[in-house]
Amino acid sequence: MSEPAIAARRLEKRFGHATALTGVDLEVPAGSSLAVLGPNGAGKSTLLRLMAGLGRPSGGSLSICGEPAHDRAARARVGFVGHATFLYAALTARENVLFAARLHRVPHAAARVEERLAQEGLEGVAHLAAGALSRGMAQRLAVARGLVHDPEIVLLDEPFAGLDRRAAQRLAGRLADLRHEGRTAVLATHDVGLAAQVADVAIVLAAGRIAHEVRAPQRDVAALERAYAAAAEASP
Amino acid sequence: MNVFLAILWKDLLVEWRSRDRVVAMLVFSLLVVVVFHFSLPGGATAQTRATAPGLLWIAYVFAALLGLGRSFSAELENEALSGIALVPVDRGWVFLGKGAANLLVLGVVQAVTACVFALVFEVDLTPVAGRLAGVVALGSLGLCSIGTLFAAVAVRTRFREVMLPLLLLPLLVPVLLGSVRATSALLADGTAPFAAIQLLIVTDAVYLILSFLGFEYVLEE
Repeated sequence: MSEPAIAARRLEKRFGHATALTGVDLEVPAGSSLAVLGPNGAGKSTLLRLMAGLGRPSGGSLSICGEPAHDRAARARVGFVGHATFLYAALTARENVLFAARLHRVPHAAARVEERLAQEGLEGVAHLAAGALSRGMAQRLAVARGLVHDPEIVLLDEPFAGLDRRAAQRLAGRLADLRHEGRTAVLATHDVGLAAQVADVAIVLAAGRIAHEVRAPQRDVAALERAYAAAAEASP
Repeated sequence: MNVFLAILWKDLLVEWRSRDRVVAMLVFSLLVVVVFHFSLPGGATAQTRATAPGLLWIAYVFAALLGLGRSFSAELENEALSGIALVPVDRGWVFLGKGAANLLVLGVVQAVTACVFALVFEVDLTPVAGRLAGVVALGSLGLCSIGTLFAAVAVRTRFREVMLPLLLLPLLVPVLLGSVRATSALLADGTAPFAAIQLLIVTDAVYLILSFLGFEYVLEE
């Protein structure tokens, strides 16, 4: 059996006395997609940031294709789009993506950047400062930035926050593309409908634990809705 | 292009576009020079010569503290620091890129400050300009290497403006000791004592290695 793209065993993360995650066990097979749902403070962002290698677990283990998630080899496999855009307002859209490409040592970086900007429909604003872009455009630019190195695993932390309907539809289309490209995707969201639409498996976090796991959630959206509502009800 | 050059390119480009950091550092260091000019007797007196190296380094350290803090506060916007922490190489290369950018920006400020200082205090720096630049570069290397590390630590704390000087100033003692002694000797008789240069080289090497290794953990949450 092939190694899972992401594997967590009794994963724990504490910040001082506060426990953000505890006893999280999960496996995400390569090429599949996982939706992480939960009310505010449930631990969704913490889980994704640990997967991206931005922190180390306080207990248990978290691996990316068999490597500890905080190792640089694991970081090379991951593309992370957070709810913050990671953009520099003073740099142009093109320079922001070029900077990310250089950080990831992408070969033929300039050509790849143009390709990614075109994919996100941002060629027309590539020369504009990122600080001058609308929220929707900045989010698309963040996607171009996060995927410029063609990562095997894509982590998206509430990427729809603050987007209008048109921008959200465009991003949902991009998510579907990623799925068709066979990438492993993890999406943290509050949107149960979207989670059911794009994920092979959905988990609902409550107070740092996996409260519910729903396989093939598109077949039973109501079960996912109930699980989310129960987690929200139980949260402090 | 490797990560070191990518970070250096980005930092210098952002600075060139805004110029807010270099202007703030310049205003601050020139203010220090002007204030000392009014508080000391005018002309190239023995007292001025004796205090000049200390005054110059006070201006440099204050400017560096301001610049180091700002170099990381810019990374807080849109959580750009997390974006940098995703690099698939040792994060020490991020430190080298940011440290080199800090060193270059500080170098510009130091050059302008030294010229104004020489004019205001009537101190002729031209006979020792090359050697003085070498001493300043050695001192600044230590200052910027440990300073870049602690600026990255301080930027994630609640009282970052206060935290950076508190953490950094005690560690700058060997750097300042070597720099001020070497600068004093240069201005007095045109030669820098080997012991002071040796202290600077050893301190620079230790701070560079510690900061390169420590940056991996400093960028983690």
